[in-house]
Amino acid sequence: MAVEYDPAIIGKVFDVTDPVPVTAVAVRDYCEALGETNPLFTDEQAARKGPHGRLCAPPSFAVTFRNGRHFYQHVPRFGRSGFDAGKDVEFIHPIFIGDQITLSSHVKEIYEKTGRSGSMVFVVIRSTLGNQLGETIAHIDHRFMHR
Amino acid sequence: MSTILDLHSHSEASEDSRAPVEAYLNWIKLRRQERPLDGIVLTEHRQFNRHADYRALEDKYGMLVLRASEIETDYGHMLVFGVNDDITRRFDFADVRLPAQQVIDEVAAMGGLVVPCHPGRSNVGLCEHYEKRPALDNVVAVEILNGGSRKGENERSAALVAKFGYRATGGSDSHMVSLIGVCATRFEAEVGTIEELVHELKTGEYEAVDFRPRPSPIPRAIPVEAK
Repeated sequence: MAVEYDPAIIGKVFDVTDPVPVTAVAVRDYCEALGETNPLFTDEQAARKGPHGRLCAPPSFAVTFRNGRHFYQHVPRFGRSGFDAGKDVEFIHPIFIGDQITLSSHVKEIYEKTGRSGSMVFVVIRSTLGNQLGETIAHIDHRFMHR
Repeated sequence: MSTILDLHSHSEASEDSRAPVEAYLNWIKLRRQERPLDGIVLTEHRQFNRHADYRALEDKYGMLVLRASEIETDYGHMLVFGVNDDITRRFDFADVRLPAQQVIDEVAAMGGLVVPCHPGRSNVGLCEHYEKRPALDNVVAVEILNGGSRKGENERSAALVAKFGYRATGGSDSHMVSLIGVCATRFEAEVGTIEELVHELKTGEYEAVDFRPRPSPIPRAIPVEAK
């Protein structure tokens, strides 16, 4: 299976979500669900003495934001089947209570490889999280395998 | 003085590995008794990591870090040692259908050496391709011991080596820190550069060495006499 696609799709943003507010309640619930006890995320007084001087979310909170409804329609497909081959997350900037988070997604990379089971095509979709100040919060690379 | 090198490993520069080079070196340093390596060769998938500079890490850990590549050909996966500008200009390492015979011959002419890796592996190993097509010419060595092999794969590689009289190397094929150095190659001579490595692979004395932990024998049950 030779991989054929329009190179113009690489880098083109196809999905931008509406801003989602980060609330203290959402962060507290997230910490409770994960057993996260660091007071920098839930205790205002402790957070004031912390490195950021205010409450922030655990870095992994970045993965709680959802892509747009039509995200998967834009993932290029090759072959007859495929599966989610994992995610890489790069944390860049803290998420603070009160932030408005937006995700924008584009096809970062398409590549082929061969393995024990045959040829595979990997599609990497990069979702970039940004806040209301235009700062980049994180990059999430979704890897999809097709064959 | 001999040199022991893991000739097949992947760092985070490969898309399917998350292992930092420093973590590999630190792991080896902490386990020198079990895996007495002098260095590693990073064989990143479908690329040559030309700009990586590991000299500071080499100094810090007292270990050699050399760079090579793992490419994909019409006869399976192969390690390319001694990669230079001529080689990367001639072949697109991202191409997963590189013509093996051409790569072997031309890389040798340009000062490098191609070593087919995990030949016993299905689909991407030399053995399966040899069942369907003529054997390749000018193969000097193949990887007889691969740390990522499944049951039977290294045995198939050994049978291939015996049949064709190839020389044999070993490498961990590590994609994660804890597996670095489980298989390696012991050279009779001292190897300190990639040029020396290519020279030794072509003409020197070497053997694959296995540092994989052996499972402890299960103690025999002692019958208990009924009282």
